[in-house]
Amino acid sequence: MTDKRSVAIHVPVLARVEGEGALDLAIEDGDITELRLRIFEPPRFFEKFLEGRHYTEIPDLVARICGICPVAYQLTAASALEKLYGVALSPWSRAMRRVFYCGEWIQSHSLHIHLLAAPDFFGCGNAIELAKQAPDEVRRGLRLQALGNELMDLFGARSVHPVGVRIGGFHAAPSPARVAALRDRLEAALPEARALVRWAAAIPLPADDQDFISVALRQPAGYAIERGDIAASDGLLIEPEAYGTHFTERHEPHSTALFSSYRGQPYLVGPLARLNLNADRLPDAVRALLDDIGFVLPSRNMFHSLTARAVEILLALTEALRLLADYRVPDSPWAPVTPRAGVATGATEAPRGLLWHRYEMDGAGRVVRARIVPPTSQNQARIEEDLRRSLAAFGLDRPDDALRLHCEKVIRNYDPCISCATHFLRLTVRR
Amino acid sequence: MTLHIYGIGSPSGDDQAGWLVVDALEALGVASGADVVIAKLDRPGAGLVARLDAAGHAILIDAMQSGAPPGTLHRFDPADGPLPAADLSSHGFGVFAALALAQALGRLPPRVEVIGIEIAQAAPGDAVSPPVRSAAAKLARQIAATLAG
Repeated sequence: MTDKRSVAIHVPVLARVEGEGALDLAIEDGDITELRLRIFEPPRFFEKFLEGRHYTEIPDLVARICGICPVAYQLTAASALEKLYGVALSPWSRAMRRVFYCGEWIQSHSLHIHLLAAPDFFGCGNAIELAKQAPDEVRRGLRLQALGNELMDLFGARSVHPVGVRIGGFHAAPSPARVAALRDRLEAALPEARALVRWAAAIPLPADDQDFISVALRQPAGYAIERGDIAASDGLLIEPEAYGTHFTERHEPHSTALFSSYRGQPYLVGPLARLNLNADRLPDAVRALLDDIGFVLPSRNMFHSLTARAVEILLALTEALRLLADYRVPDSPWAPVTPRAGVATGATEAPRGLLWHRYEMDGAGRVVRARIVPPTSQNQARIEEDLRRSLAAFGLDRPDDALRLHCEKVIRNYDPCISCATHFLRLTVRR
Repeated sequence: MTLHIYGIGSPSGDDQAGWLVVDALEALGVASGADVVIAKLDRPGAGLVARLDAAGHAILIDAMQSGAPPGTLHRFDPADGPLPAADLSSHGFGVFAALALAQALGRLPPRVEVIGIEIAQAAPGDAVSPPVRSAAAKLARQIAATLAG
């Protein structure tokens, strides 16, 4: 007879996630009676801080929302305002914005794979234990991360809270000599990124098969990063302006982050959602590697998120090299801007998933109202849904420690950025 | 043997202590060159591992809070025993975690000195408190004297 004990697991502070959150899990007579991902990091009120600010200040203000993905916040805000102001970005600015964003993907994904997620799959408690087991792979990961940081630094003057973006383009263009030096290193890193994809794909992952809706940006050509329309795996394809009519946010008492839903259902944003929707938009060389390693898309195994990040590192390196191939310094790195009143809406793919901004602006170029929907709050309902299904499949009768570790593994697939999401982990299990 | 001197900090109040030491060393004529790398770092996280890869000798200066009087210097040598690396997230990836990671990778420089300057406050926009400013200047003179010797 199966043991139908009652269990209560409380993870008071989730390790290896960004920011502060906790998990409460109660199991009674073999059923989950309570499962709450609690985001308790205090709300940060960024949307309120932005009110009254001039449009020229916005890129530097929103960069402070996240130390890992500042580029995402800057470029989402910039694209929204540039659309409202009718600014035609030069081909140079468009290309370099994408390169800048690729740097952030490389940096953020390398960090998450090697320091936060991979230790789970090698029986390691942290990256330091993993470094003893797989030193070459961890060093490779740190090299890739550093390269991503350098790409961010190239356009942003620094990799943490970069300051290079202005509405209309960039404040300055890097010198051809600096770009050439970095391009050689990006080229040299390509085999490392391919080896990383093969390594990630060979990691034995838990079996997991879940039905979920993927949501990501999509473009007519190319893999959507810095712009695109919003697509869902059920066929939805809308402009970013229509986000509010299809997606809703609600507050739950146990979390300082808002919960998002699409047609009343949780949905997934992030690397796996992007690959699920945009595998046909990958460059040929990346597609060929996926075919070679047998990575089948779309995938319904959330643990493939780690492999998806590795694939996107290779994609980002490939894209950065393509766009920097014929680098030249433009006549001007920015286009002139004339503010006007109206509503500015923008959406880009942050490393963790879809990031959506909306600004009501007055005629003097000041923010009347701002709304920012980060990826982690969109994933929050999906994480809770995943935990319920994943724990049921894993077996609720397992020991507390095994349940706790499994929950943490599931949560880390999403690379939740709690600091960004709070408007977020500590596990409590009660049986 | 390349000497790497890193002052680690942030713009908030006494948390600038590591940066002040670098400023003072540069004022005393210590500059990056063939054998020396000197830089101010803003919370480098795991990025410190790659930076230390080429170092033969590293001196890391950071702000520290232990309850001792502000301006007190604390010295740590990884050769003395295990480093106190705590739970790791990329937001909270500190100097000891980075050194522990470098150690696990077998890439710790042959000689590492971590010098902590006890601070009083680290509030955004605040000035550096007098005891921390004077401790930073004194530490810079000590390091410069060792280099000259």
